[in-house]
Amino acid sequence: MQEYKFTEEQEKEISRILAKYPVKTSALLPLLTLVQRADRVVSPEAMVAISKKLDVSPAYVQSVMSFYTMYHTEKVGKYMILFCINISCQLNGCDKLLEHTARKLNIKVGETTSDEKFTLHREECLAACTEAPMMRVNDTYYGNLTEQRIDQILESLD
Amino acid sequence: MSDVTLTIDGKTVTVPKGTKVVDAAKQVEVDIPVFCYHEKIGPLGCCRMCLVEVEKMPKLMTACTMDVAPDMVVKTVGDKVEKAQKGVLEFTLLNHPLDCPVCDKGGECPLQDNTFKYGPPDTRMEFHRANNVKAAPLSPVITIDRERCIACQRCTAYSERIEQDRGLVMLNRGFHNEVNTFNNEPYDNRFSGNVIDICPVGALTNTDFRFKARTWDLENHDTLCANCGCNCNITLGTRLNEFMRIEARPNDAVDDGWICDKGRWGHHFMESKNKITAARENSVGKTEPTSFPNFPINAPAEQAAEKVIEIFKNIAEEHGPESIGFLGSPYATNEEGYLYQKLFRLLGTNNIDHKSYQDTPGLPIRHFDVEEIENSNIVLLIACDPTEELPILDLRIKKAVSRCGTKLLSLNDQDTALDKYAELKVKYKVGSEASAVDALAEGLARELGESIDFSSDLGPTGISDEDMKSLVEAVRSSMKICVVYNPAALSGDTSLRVKRLLSVIARIPTIECGAIPAAPATNAVGAVDMGLLPDFYPGGVPVSDSEKVKELWGENAPTKPGLSASEMIAKAKSGDLKALWIHRSNPVVDFPGGEQVVEALKNLDLLVVHDMLETETTQLAKIVLPSNGPGFDEGTTTNIGGRVQARRKALEANSIDDWKLIQVMLKKLGDESSYSRVAKVLNEISQKVPGYQEINSRFVGKQGCNREQVAGEEVSPGNVESAASSNGKLQLRVATYLFAHDKILDASSKLAYHFKPSSAFLNESDAGKIGVSNGDRVSISGNGTEMEAEVTIDNRCMEGGVVVPRISDEQGVNGLGNPDGSPAWVDIKKA
Ligand code: SF4
Ligand code: SF4
Ligand code: FES
Ligand code: FES
Repeated sequence: MQEYKFTEEQEKEISRILAKYPVKTSALLPLLTLVQRADRVVSPEAMVAISKKLDVSPAYVQSVMSFYTMYHTEKVGKYMILFCINISCQLNGCDKLLEHTARKLNIKVGETTSDEKFTLHREECLAACTEAPMMRVNDTYYGNLTEQRIDQILESLD
Repeated sequence: MSDVTLTIDGKTVTVPKGTKVVDAAKQVEVDIPVFCYHEKIGPLGCCRMCLVEVEKMPKLMTACTMDVAPDMVVKTVGDKVEKAQKGVLEFTLLNHPLDCPVCDKGGECPLQDNTFKYGPPDTRMEFHRANNVKAAPLSPVITIDRERCIACQRCTAYSERIEQDRGLVMLNRGFHNEVNTFNNEPYDNRFSGNVIDICPVGALTNTDFRFKARTWDLENHDTLCANCGCNCNITLGTRLNEFMRIEARPNDAVDDGWICDKGRWGHHFMESKNKITAARENSVGKTEPTSFPNFPINAPAEQAAEKVIEIFKNIAEEHGPESIGFLGSPYATNEEGYLYQKLFRLLGTNNIDHKSYQDTPGLPIRHFDVEEIENSNIVLLIACDPTEELPILDLRIKKAVSRCGTKLLSLNDQDTALDKYAELKVKYKVGSEASAVDALAEGLARELGESIDFSSDLGPTGISDEDMKSLVEAVRSSMKICVVYNPAALSGDTSLRVKRLLSVIARIPTIECGAIPAAPATNAVGAVDMGLLPDFYPGGVPVSDSEKVKELWGENAPTKPGLSASEMIAKAKSGDLKALWIHRSNPVVDFPGGEQVVEALKNLDLLVVHDMLETETTQLAKIVLPSNGPGFDEGTTTNIGGRVQARRKALEANSIDDWKLIQVMLKKLGDESSYSRVAKVLNEISQKVPGYQEINSRFVGKQGCNREQVAGEEVSPGNVESAASSNGKLQLRVATYLFAHDKILDASSKLAYHFKPSSAFLNESDAGKIGVSNGDRVSISGNGTEMEAEVTIDNRCMEGGVVVPRISDEQGVNGLGNPDGSPAWVDIKKA
């Protein structure tokens, strides 16, 4: 296994994060997030690097990481689309819209486009039921979706 | 701690505060079913099997997480509880396969038992059960069946709280949860096998035992692990006189319920191809031995032994009793050791020993049992690496540090795995232990206002004044201290210095103190107690105390100090020692000296080796006699905590038991005692060995009992010799590696995946001087021997030293050592 190297920037950020917590282990989620954002994946190498920073076993890092759906063991696209399929969105026709999105991107749900631009996943309620049907693209919520609006959104992302 | 009284199912019980309801119930024989709860691991509250009703509480409670409270009223029966139990079991069984007929756990499975007792008669599940991976290797010795796992998390909690390395975790928690390691790496450490014992279903199984026998067909023998001085309690399962498996047999005073992997999988030597099964004569050595008659070919061992002991007698008569010697075994039982020393002292010699390092019986302070580690507030390790040498001690120390508030101090020449639990770690230079120990003793004496001069000198140790001061202070201010030292890792007469240090500690008025002499060999303490020593009779009676010796051992008992093992080897070389008898020991590989030992043994008129496996030493023997060894033998051993326990016979051997064989020889020499059973030998031990008065087979029972302190007369060490100039040489430290490739773990061992290549751990600055870097091959030479190793630069020891773990018999690292046990110098060159 190759050694994972944090950038200088990241090292500074890590020191800032660690300073916030009296118990080192508490910084696990922030560090996982840092890596996921930078690499779009959390590789085993990165888990080892994080485990060293926090003095825990790599297995523990993996156990925590594997509980959360927003950390990925396979690299995701530049834009991560989480499509809500829970009840409010369901009642408002998310199934069709999800199908439409998949067709538009020419991938199946759960896959990443070949140019690594988009990844499409189903997600449970994202707590925006008032705007159902909705999806989340990276950190932005898009509500009241229609096929047209989805096309527009996808085009606007580069 | 104050007590709490409560009622469980109408029965009143009083237990200490902090007890969990589930444990309180056991005291009044109320059975609360559990899956995830394990007494030694602590509450998890994860499976819900233990739900009970508690008066004034609105909901059912988990008995495993709930502390007892005064006047609490608990009900473990009734509609409400029964409905909950049925519900939990129905849920637990939803996806559990119907594997019982082919499952190794069948017959001893808590899931089976709980379902039978508390479960619903059928299931309402109408769909297919979830399928999952069956029989995947979790490590080379553990197989996991993912369908059977009920996600109780006992195993992962064990990894976190007992092993404390969190190697085994629950991944993908939720519907797809799986017990696994990081990145699918094998789950291997020194204690992995315990998860097999604690898994309440057949998910974690012993790969070696899989499908070998149904558990109810096993004959279970309560005996002891024979692989190190902890003497952990085990259940050895056999079927049709064949070895099947080993499980832990909890004994709080010894193992706290766990065994290490060497205990579990390191007993296949019992069925080794190298087992010696018959007496034989080798055509080696001098062709015309002194008065050696024809050896009866194919004779039973007892006939052979009778003949040979007669020859020993003749040699002793012809050349004087100094011309014969006995090298005993720190692996044999007390009974065997006792009888053998009796035999040789009957021949008039005190040339009796069992080790290559210096050690004396007794301690100037209390001999602590292992459990005392938990209630000592300071544990001081001297030259100890429990993780490799005495694994279960490693778990005990981790428990003490993490749960009992014990502080760990370490005085060592090398880094060890336990260092990260240490509050203070003081490292001295390899070979300077004598000065380091003296400096600590003198520092403490000074604190006591004693004007003692041990002429100690911190100079050669590399310890800073400050570090030594903190160490002195930490020891002085402890309330209760347990000193654990490994005599086998101390060079020269340092173990005597440790004893002197202990007497100083004993004089500190404010502290309670005790020590554990922690030599790794299985019965190292017993061998010393049984008088397998040139200068002490059993029970620490000095040979020079002729009055006492004569009283206990008769008018003719020898009172002249004999030769130590290394002296015997030297005398064999010079021709003064004519005949040597070796019992279960392999000095050619295990003693320092290498080729010199071989030459010495070859020079003997008669070498007899009584051993269980073929070794480099049996190859040199004129006569080889079969010893049955662990699994087949019976008797007692004394562990590092001074606890005498029974090792029981699990398999029937074809050869005669060692103790019977020695008895045959004793008879031949005219000894009148006759032992009908091995317990009779123990009776004699209790009469003849001071300290063992209270020991008898009934008292030893299942859990063993402590022998009383064996007396120790203080032997004063000499002056520390100043080290010879190094001349670019390095001081050698031979470290222990638990899974060394030797006769016990041979190439066919289940643990062979742990075998390591030979390596040398160097300090940065020395590596620079020699001009080697990580991964380079080097040749290490000293004492006329040479061996190869791969370099690791990691500052495991200080400048001027090199640590070489003993990883196999073949490696021959002990050959580099000085036969007299003084610190060895080695040359290291790039190969
Ligand atoms: S493998 Fe066994 S001990 Fe571990 S969680 Fe599953 S059932 Fe429990
Ligand atoms: S710690 Fe020692 S006695 Fe215990 S199981 Fe391991 S080798 Fe055997
Ligand atoms: S159901 Fe889609 S946001 Fe809540
Ligand atoms: S035994 Fe109490 S919750 Fe598992």
